[in-house]
Amino acid sequence: MSSRYRIFLYLALVTSPLLAQNKQVLYDFTEIPQSLIINPGIETDFQWYAGIPLLSGLSGYGGSNGISVNDIFADDGLDINDKVRDRLVAGLTPRDEFSQNLQIELFNGGYRGFNPDIFYSFGAYVEMDNILYWPTDYALLAFEGNAGRLNQRFDLGDLKTRGSMVAVYHFGVNKKMNKKLTIGARAKLYSGIFDFNSTNNKGYLVNTQGQNNRLATTLSADLKLRSSGFGSLNNSDDQAQLTSAVLKRALFGGDLGVGADLGFTYKLNERTSITGSVLDLGFMYHSGDVYTYSLKGNATIEGIEINVIQELADLNRDFWQDLVDEVEELIPFETTNKGYVSFRPTKLNASFRHDFGKPIGSEKACDCGTLTTDSRRLKYANGVGVQLFAVNRPRGPQTALTGFYLRRFGRFMALKGTYTVDKFSSTNVGLGLNIQAGPINLYVIGDNLLSYQNIAASNYASFQLGLNIISWGKKK
Amino acid sequence: MKGLQNILLILICTIFCFSCSEKQDFNQYEDLSITPTLEASIFFVKVQESLINRVVDVSFFTQDFNFDAFEEAFFSDRVLEGVITYELENTTDKPIEIEIEFLDENDILLDTEVFTMPAAPTAVLIRERAYGNTGKSLEILRNTSKLRLNASNFGDNTSTSGIPDAAIVLRSSAQFTLRLK
Repeated sequence: MSSRYRIFLYLALVTSPLLAQNKQVLYDFTEIPQSLIINPGIETDFQWYAGIPLLSGLSGYGGSNGISVNDIFADDGLDINDKVRDRLVAGLTPRDEFSQNLQIELFNGGYRGFNPDIFYSFGAYVEMDNILYWPTDYALLAFEGNAGRLNQRFDLGDLKTRGSMVAVYHFGVNKKMNKKLTIGARAKLYSGIFDFNSTNNKGYLVNTQGQNNRLATTLSADLKLRSSGFGSLNNSDDQAQLTSAVLKRALFGGDLGVGADLGFTYKLNERTSITGSVLDLGFMYHSGDVYTYSLKGNATIEGIEINVIQELADLNRDFWQDLVDEVEELIPFETTNKGYVSFRPTKLNASFRHDFGKPIGSEKACDCGTLTTDSRRLKYANGVGVQLFAVNRPRGPQTALTGFYLRRFGRFMALKGTYTVDKFSSTNVGLGLNIQAGPINLYVIGDNLLSYQNIAASNYASFQLGLNIISWGKKK
Repeated sequence: MKGLQNILLILICTIFCFSCSEKQDFNQYEDLSITPTLEASIFFVKVQESLINRVVDVSFFTQDFNFDAFEEAFFSDRVLEGVITYELENTTDKPIEIEIEFLDENDILLDTEVFTMPAAPTAVLIRERAYGNTGKSLEILRNTSKLRLNASNFGDNTSTSGIPDAAIVLRSSAQFTLRLK
């Protein structure tokens, strides 16, 4: 096993438990073919490229904006119950999230068509994406209970979660329209492995002064959890059956969906450009192995109520069972198998970049246009700019703002440093390294690097890495 | 050049792989205790004075009620301690006694709670009965399947209170601490 392969394997194993929607370092890092995945409209100068299967792109992140592993599990001598109560139950709000994303490219390739202005790319990847907003009032109810909290409503709408694992098959076209504008589009087919969502919950639980008895407990619920794919996964008795079930659903044996990515790069002048992309404009229809659980209704109870003069004729009835039946009738728990549609978490990227310094491959700065005669885009030694990222989440868009500096060392190496501010961190420094050794392309990207001083105290960690073979073809 | 590449690669790998972390103790999870205290009403019984006057015997009301709430596995397996609060209100013109018997599924008496009250006007009687720890045994509640309510009239059968809708009203609620983890 080569040392480089060992490094890849080690990185994959060590960092795989860290589960980035926001790939701010990779975005517009045009030396790396995978940047086409997050903007199909980048300026490409490859003749063709081929990703090493399963190694061409591996990325993931895991994080919570409100709390870190260290906050709860640090070996600090404090009682974990105090830490959980103070930092989790009392410390987090319904806007705080726990989220993770893992993306593994199965294969990825691209080639320039007969028309040199058109570049085609294709591939497949598996993506797992989960988010849970901190269910504040559920946690309060679970840890503290409702005792002594007269008139305090426990908001059942605090439950908001969504997750999925899909295989994505894609084909993209990138076209240079003219010297200033490059556009791209990518069609996607989604094959769902599993999906769950519970995002539009409403209701409350409250104790109030009773009319007859000491307390009246009111439950007003409109809760729904939709899931797909878990039945076949749960029914797998062993690893082989589970793998088979996952593969079957990944190969169009489960839920299906379609989507598209759109992107562009527009050069304001020779050294300044703006870019933008919209990813995963799509939906999935979940039709097989669907279970939808719902709890809907209103009930107020004051325990067993026996007004003897009113119940005189029927005092022998089972008051307890009647109460249970009444509540179940007023707030029925139902399970259905009706298919449903889910929308993919749409992402938006935009950037402004200004290049400066010497053109790569030239000994002097020139105003010779944005393209060389061999159709390879003229690149400059330095680039600086800002990027904006947004992703559609159950509680509304989640955004991030990034400033970056890109440094190219000839054609063989490029470094990109980023500083990002988002809800996870205001000290997020990222670094990406791209190395081109002949046709071999290697990239490694790390994010939130300052947190690596004490990674357990980090709210967020992510990584991306990959290995490709690239050809720029012969000069014309 | 190749050497430079390798050096940079090693640097990146060092950042990724040899990052620092304060010592973590994930075994603390075993010490995590989730014990909420839940509160709700239990039962409400109202016996009107007009009804009491219809019965000549001292014991004017005896009735068994099925009550499986404490027997439910979710409760009986997890309950740690609790308090039942009784609130007895007498607006009738009669001194009365209320007896609540806790019976298991074989009608075996597990415990009794007795309340006596003078005729109206009188203050509302409030009693808190603790279970678990220094209170009564939780086994009483865990095995309770039925409640028997006995009510006795130690007054006459003719007089009426001047208070509108005169009646004996027994209200109750409970606070129980359950171990979820």
